[in-house]
Amino acid sequence: MVEELLFFMEVLVGGLLAGTMYSLVALGFVLIFKASATFNFSQGAMVFFSVLAFVGFMQDFNIPFVLAFILAALLMVVVGLCTERFVLRPLMNASEDTVLMATIGLGYVLEGLAQAAWGVEVRRLDLGIGDFPVPWIADNLKLFISALDITAGLVAAIMIIGLFLLFKYTKIGLGLRAVADDAGAASSIGIPLKHIMLLVWSAAGVVALVAGCMWGARAGVQFALVDLALKALPVLIIGGFSSIPGAIIGGLIIGAVEKVLEVYIGPFFGGAIEGWAPYVLAIFFLLYRPEGLFGEKIIRRV
Amino acid sequence: MSTSTNILDIKNIEVTYDNVILALHDVSLKVPKGKVVALLGANGAGKSTTLKAVSTMLASERGKVTKGTIEYDGTSIEKQNPSQMVGLGMVQVLEGRRCFGHLTVEENIIAGAYSRKLSKGDINQELEKIYTYFIRLKERRKSQAAFTSGGEQQMIAVARAMMAKPKMLLLDEPTMGLAPQLVAEIFNIVKELNQKEGVSILLAEQNTNVALKNSDYGYIIETGRVMLDGTAQSLLSNDQVKELYLGISKKGRKNFRDVLKEESLTKKRIN
Repeated sequence: MVEELLFFMEVLVGGLLAGTMYSLVALGFVLIFKASATFNFSQGAMVFFSVLAFVGFMQDFNIPFVLAFILAALLMVVVGLCTERFVLRPLMNASEDTVLMATIGLGYVLEGLAQAAWGVEVRRLDLGIGDFPVPWIADNLKLFISALDITAGLVAAIMIIGLFLLFKYTKIGLGLRAVADDAGAASSIGIPLKHIMLLVWSAAGVVALVAGCMWGARAGVQFALVDLALKALPVLIIGGFSSIPGAIIGGLIIGAVEKVLEVYIGPFFGGAIEGWAPYVLAIFFLLYRPEGLFGEKIIRRV
Repeated sequence: MSTSTNILDIKNIEVTYDNVILALHDVSLKVPKGKVVALLGANGAGKSTTLKAVSTMLASERGKVTKGTIEYDGTSIEKQNPSQMVGLGMVQVLEGRRCFGHLTVEENIIAGAYSRKLSKGDINQELEKIYTYFIRLKERRKSQAAFTSGGEQQMIAVARAMMAKPKMLLLDEPTMGLAPQLVAEIFNIVKELNQKEGVSILLAEQNTNVALKNSDYGYIIETGRVMLDGTAQSLLSNDQVKELYLGISKKGRKNFRDVLKEESLTKKRIN
């Protein structure tokens, strides 16, 4: 009995921590959704692009770890700058659907550029953190939990606190929330949309880089990262597209649910329900709580 | 009037949307420094378009000033964008209030100071000053703006604009959909801001009577042209204005019942 409970705990904690990896990817989506009111289909490509550049800097140019990370982060700021100038600004008066389609295009451009610059083979990313159980926890709590999972959890926690403080207490955060509510009114009182867009896309780029590092360390830096980012979709539907805490909690729920279902119910379906179980959960949310757990309710005065 | 006394000088502007739709044919108007000027007219006459041409917000609606000039504070606004105009002291309060619904009342007002480089202390000082004009907002400062009443939302929009420390305010239908009591309250505040803060005001209104009573000068536009202009007093006593915009004919007040009576009389005569 105790062993079964321990096993369940292990599955649950493992799932929760793996979920933080989804949360990290979802964060990037939320940032852009808040400012542009559009789902950024290129987020997956940004994850791939950024982490491949990071690994490329280290392996092809022998740039040390920290410097390579800073360079990759700067590169994502440049990507944000170019996106604002060449994609968003020309589409300023276009409908949200048009911007959505443009992000799909932007995704292909980034994927192509990344592969043209760094090649197509799978690369290994060594963060110096092993993807194996932490001995101390295994000995004392009898739980086998990966060090990489714990790191991802910590990183996600730091990022959510940082972003929360940024939005709630800084001037630029207030500007961003104002733009998210009514871009026209924001510009009428002199909030420069250009700066806000640039900030948001750069921040989303850096978030993509961090998420990419975590995923790359586990699964290798490869093209599959692009599709993996789409796992963020059920996360966002559950958490709410416009909520940062929602992205985090949505990720945790997806991570935990898919692992627990896989282990306990999976065998009845012949396994591998991990792949689709989150989407089923997402459909239930769409039916009964379309704004997600933490999404901003659409407020309409009557 | 010499040009230096005018804070805003619009000369013969023509505005088109999407390069084809002609919204303004020929509009010229002046706003003297420190005065309140009313821009009157029915729906679609071109009031909003005129204001947006001045605040340069036309570009975001695919509109363009195709002829004529607009001078604000002695310089052309041709190459400016909305945030630069705010920097120059010209702020527009858009039609329909447009508060940031998910932000609190106070956050909405503070957002108005975005273009200014103020310390936290300065912002609080400015806030307190603004609250002296909008007492009702101070009580509701922690509420989410979307849940405040229409009148309060209009006050938020004006208070927010005042936080940018404007020399000139453009108000687009500030009393739309408000009860008469609130209309009076809003106009009292507007007058007070004009007199105590020295803000020049150009306001677009359909509520001709109240607007003229609270203005120094008025322009009446129809289908993109200025039809009539004059001091608020002269417009209020002008027969044509009375007949067309105030619903008062020479014979006295003309209301719906009178119209019906006339109609039934003519019917009888026909029979």
